[in-house]
Amino acid sequence: MKLSRRELLTTAALSPAFAAGGKFPKGKADACILLWLGGGAAHIDTFDPKRKGDGKKVAGSYYDAIDTAVKDVQVCEHLKRTAPLLDRCALIRTLGHDIVSEHGAASNLVHTGRMPSGTIQYPSIGSIVSKELGTKDPAVPAYVVMGYPNITRDPGFLGAKYGYIYLTQTETGPNGFVRPPDVDNPRQDRRETLLAQLRQNFENRHPEDQVIRAQSAITGQGFKMAGPKFMNVFDLAKESKSVRESYGGEFGQRCLLARRLVQSGVRFVEVSFNLNFLNGSGWDTHNDGQTKQHLLIQDLDQAFAMLLTDLEKSKLLDTTLVVIATEFGRPPEFDSGGGRGHHSKVFSAVLAGGGLKTAQAVGVSDELGVNPVGKSVSVPDFHATIHCALGINPAKNLFAGDRPVPITDKGEPLRELFS
Amino acid sequence: MFRIILLTATGSLLMAQPVKVEIFEKLNAGQLLAPPADAVPVETYQEPAFAFVRTPVKFSGNALPMDRSSPFGLRATYERVLTAGDYRFRLRARGAARLEIDGQVVAATQPQLPNKTGDDPVPPPPVREESPLRPAHYPHQDVVYRVKLAAGTHRFVLTAVIGGSGLYPTPGELAVSFAAGTQLERLLGPATAPYLTDEAWERYVAAVNQRHDAADVVRRRLASVAVAAEWKARHGKIRASLASQPKPALPVLKALPVQNDIDRFVGAKLEAESMPPTALTSDLEFLRRLSLDATGVIPTPAEIRTYLADAPRARRAKAIERVLASNGWADHWVAYWQDVLAENPGILKPDLNNTGPFRWWIHQSFADGIPFDRFVAELLSMEGSAYQGGPAGFAQATLNDAPMAAKAEIVAQAFLGQRMGCARCHDAPFHPFKQKDLFSLAAMMQGKELKLPRTSTVPMIEGGRKPAVVVALKPGQAIGPEWPFAALVNHSETGQLPNQASVPSRNEVAALIISPENPRFPQVIVNRIWKRYMGLGIVEPADDWSRGKASHPELLAYLSREFVMSGYDTKHVARLIFSSHAYQRKPVPDPATATGAKGRLFSGPIRRNMTAEQLVDSLHRSTGRAYECEDMNLNPSGDRSPSQFLNLGKPQRAWQMTALSNERDRPALALPIAQSIVDVMTAYGWRQSRQNAATSRDDAPSPMQTLILANGILGTRMVRLSDDSELTELALADLPLPKMVSEMFLRVLSRPPAAEELRVMSNLLGDLYAQRKVKGAQKVDARINSDNRVSWSNHLSAEATVIRMEEERALRLGAKPTARLEPRFRERLEDALWAMVNSPEFVMVP
Repeated sequence: MKLSRRELLTTAALSPAFAAGGKFPKGKADACILLWLGGGAAHIDTFDPKRKGDGKKVAGSYYDAIDTAVKDVQVCEHLKRTAPLLDRCALIRTLGHDIVSEHGAASNLVHTGRMPSGTIQYPSIGSIVSKELGTKDPAVPAYVVMGYPNITRDPGFLGAKYGYIYLTQTETGPNGFVRPPDVDNPRQDRRETLLAQLRQNFENRHPEDQVIRAQSAITGQGFKMAGPKFMNVFDLAKESKSVRESYGGEFGQRCLLARRLVQSGVRFVEVSFNLNFLNGSGWDTHNDGQTKQHLLIQDLDQAFAMLLTDLEKSKLLDTTLVVIATEFGRPPEFDSGGGRGHHSKVFSAVLAGGGLKTAQAVGVSDELGVNPVGKSVSVPDFHATIHCALGINPAKNLFAGDRPVPITDKGEPLRELFS
Repeated sequence: MFRIILLTATGSLLMAQPVKVEIFEKLNAGQLLAPPADAVPVETYQEPAFAFVRTPVKFSGNALPMDRSSPFGLRATYERVLTAGDYRFRLRARGAARLEIDGQVVAATQPQLPNKTGDDPVPPPPVREESPLRPAHYPHQDVVYRVKLAAGTHRFVLTAVIGGSGLYPTPGELAVSFAAGTQLERLLGPATAPYLTDEAWERYVAAVNQRHDAADVVRRRLASVAVAAEWKARHGKIRASLASQPKPALPVLKALPVQNDIDRFVGAKLEAESMPPTALTSDLEFLRRLSLDATGVIPTPAEIRTYLADAPRARRAKAIERVLASNGWADHWVAYWQDVLAENPGILKPDLNNTGPFRWWIHQSFADGIPFDRFVAELLSMEGSAYQGGPAGFAQATLNDAPMAAKAEIVAQAFLGQRMGCARCHDAPFHPFKQKDLFSLAAMMQGKELKLPRTSTVPMIEGGRKPAVVVALKPGQAIGPEWPFAALVNHSETGQLPNQASVPSRNEVAALIISPENPRFPQVIVNRIWKRYMGLGIVEPADDWSRGKASHPELLAYLSREFVMSGYDTKHVARLIFSSHAYQRKPVPDPATATGAKGRLFSGPIRRNMTAEQLVDSLHRSTGRAYECEDMNLNPSGDRSPSQFLNLGKPQRAWQMTALSNERDRPALALPIAQSIVDVMTAYGWRQSRQNAATSRDDAPSPMQTLILANGILGTRMVRLSDDSELTELALADLPLPKMVSEMFLRVLSRPPAAEELRVMSNLLGDLYAQRKVKGAQKVDARINSDNRVSWSNHLSAEATVIRMEEERALRLGAKPTARLEPRFRERLEDALWAMVNSPEFVMVP
């Protein structure tokens, strides 16, 4: 039997899972919402509170800690709505990596699970999930980003068809899907009629050209995608006023939209918390940014708690994995401006719902959250856990041309989260 | 005295440049403010007045762009006669500068401090103290000096420190202006020097840029004269040796027509396979395709008219000569080599396998017609400026632990068709390359032995199955410099290379690649050119020759010989292809037949869509709009070094766009106008990040392409009839409706409308056409404004975020529609234009 190049490489399996004979747990989540706290959210000021510091010389947390629904697991006082729901969450308190100086490189690492090699561009986790799971409904895209387009979110070698559509504000709708404000329905009809006439003339002049026909068909698909079915998802006014208000400000509205997108069939939604006008610096709380950090935490708390409640009410929480992640954490010491620097050896992430065994904190960081006590959770392990929760084999090979590239770089899922 | 009078007399002439400017390097800031008497300027030139927004590019002996010392200094000297009176002088500078009048320092600005945090406050909007005086933009300083001057000749000397540690080495808006009494200030200079108003300033700066661009071209071509002669001599020898070898035999065709020798090779195979070629394109289809292929943009109506005015038999040949001589030739090739050579600059603290912006050197190489073998040698020297566009930028690979391995992979693939990607981590399973081959080439490019990084391997799993690939090298193992492609070529005359790089083994790599004894190199290049114009290579994949097989080996040999005989002139090969029937035919209607059972026959070119760059440039051209975009720069305040914040300038063509580098996902770091362009380009296959080399793009038609053009911000801006669209002027011109419609079709689709289309447009516009003009309505400035107060240095303030979010919101509304056209008519015409640019005909190459 002659094997193709691809088959040969697949069966030969460079992957450690195959080599170790390990079987991966298979979760039942079928969609993922990633809440991205860009800038490096301070773990000890949010999900891993420690002894309090004084904001100046004495290192430590900036806020008091409060109890949660999970015994012996505390969070910061500004997460008071999330605290009673913490049994729906698993905290990962020993995520760690080596990139501490650069936001771009660290964000890229946490999104793709790998460092750039220069040989290929690695895809984001959103692109991988949309490739592996596809869309639930052909009329909606698989991957939506609320935030700025950038390399960390790109499909890399998987190619443009596993890219995302994006919006920067909930009010604007996704770029390219929303007609310009001065084009009403009659105008759009007139435009499409004129376009159809031009297209028909062009096709008539090239009666045998298959390429032109194929392209026209794809154009049609585009206009269909931007049709009312999908666009209604973005109309938050369809929700009751009380629901909208209980999600809170713009970040909350993005979370509400994320729920609606998942309901419509989108597989992966990344929601950026980049509402930097709240404190200036966003989660990158050097200097001044620290003093108003609680505003960010409170917004996150309100939106996240409501999202979990709302998903649970819609019976979606068990099948929707909600992830809170950031590129790194921050040290317990304060800088000369009263803020914090970067710290990547240990920081926190949250996995909620998704049918995981929640109500636990995985890993323990030391006294002031500087080092892990025991082993840290690597970024590939973190990715592997998300993939397993979504029923994706983290050691499966993707292909960059002929080259097999495992979904994660030897990532091992956190088995304690799977029953 | 005589001299002064002469200068004043010629002051009204456009070309008068009475201000003497000197550039000093390698002095400290204090010395630069007062250059010692024995300091020798490295450049001396003239300017018309005291406004210095750029300085001449520094070129090496090989005409490569170079970095000046940072800081460097500028001294401007000028004398003029003034009448007695009260005068006001204004010194404006971003950093340290001082103004001397008659030997006495009268005004000085403070040195600029390097920025550390991004926490600066956003400054208040510029104060317009004496409207309409152009205000000092953040973070420029104004120092005003008032003085009573006696009648007579006065001497003015401005010295300024440019750049320095942690600063950007550009002058900003360095200027001196002055006025008598309460008059409006003019730039210091002759009596006719421009006023310091926004409008006059912008016009002056545009002229300065034009003049400096032209001067830089002249200077670098002068710098290149000696080395160019050496290359010419080398080519002469190669030509002589090749001329003594037999020419490839030309097949004789039974029936197919022959325009040039290419048609014999293509025709022979078509006849053998009994495959009829497609018909010839029409003249106008040909011109649109030719213009896109050679210049990257569709033809203007004027170009179409010139073309149609030529005698039909000579038309195509003349058009070919015109496009080959066009500036667009270089523009269009830059985009290609950016992909193939993985040019990947990052404008914000680059850390994702980023390179320097060697795009400018690629552009100058094609603009100056540098022979392609010299291009390779210059690239491999990795010299010149790393941040201002020289080949040194190619050497960079930020946060990559094996940068030269990445570069070796790119070089082997680009110029030899050797795809070595697999060999980065293990011996290639399907290519004849070992991991050692890649690293020994990398060591040659490094100039010393390399240690294999731990990440460049395939880890063995304890107790695991043996991997399917051979991992012969161990992490940490040292690999010495050695040429891995002895089977292709093993002999070169390194010493004979005109451009000598300072790392000898780099000369060796270059000399081996471009050696006349290496047939692979010219073949790979002509195949790349063929593929770019015909849609498919004679060898496929064009960058993987150990897998590919030539469909027309004789044609490949013929083109390769032509290329070498011409002195490695890409234009010569392009001319041959453009002139052939093979190229001038209609596209193959069914792609399956082009690559089907009979292989690649080239019965016609492959149907292609415009590339992302062609599309964006053609949209601007068809609607007659200037390129509007922010500078490709996230720290306009200039208080960071180029290694952290590159300023790639204001794009005029799509290849000048770059990844917007907002990995931080911060609204204050967004460039909304640029984003609207990048959105379209990304949908059409442009890679915002070029972390690895690519010969072809992932640009298959997709629903997103349709949507982003139809509804996106750029598409909306393009079809808006605002006062900065040439189409608005066309709609207002006194033309009969059919003439107006015809002109619009010519602009957008490069052809007149068919009778049916004219009827549709007349139905749409006819009833409103006579009343379309609004009496008394004025033309307004419809340009988009970007608030240049926001910079990295203050982006962490909440206000910076709010400013950029507001700009995004405003941009979404599109350009302000013209008030001069009756709104109902304007909307219909916009709809017609929308339909034209969104039709498949617009985006498909004829």
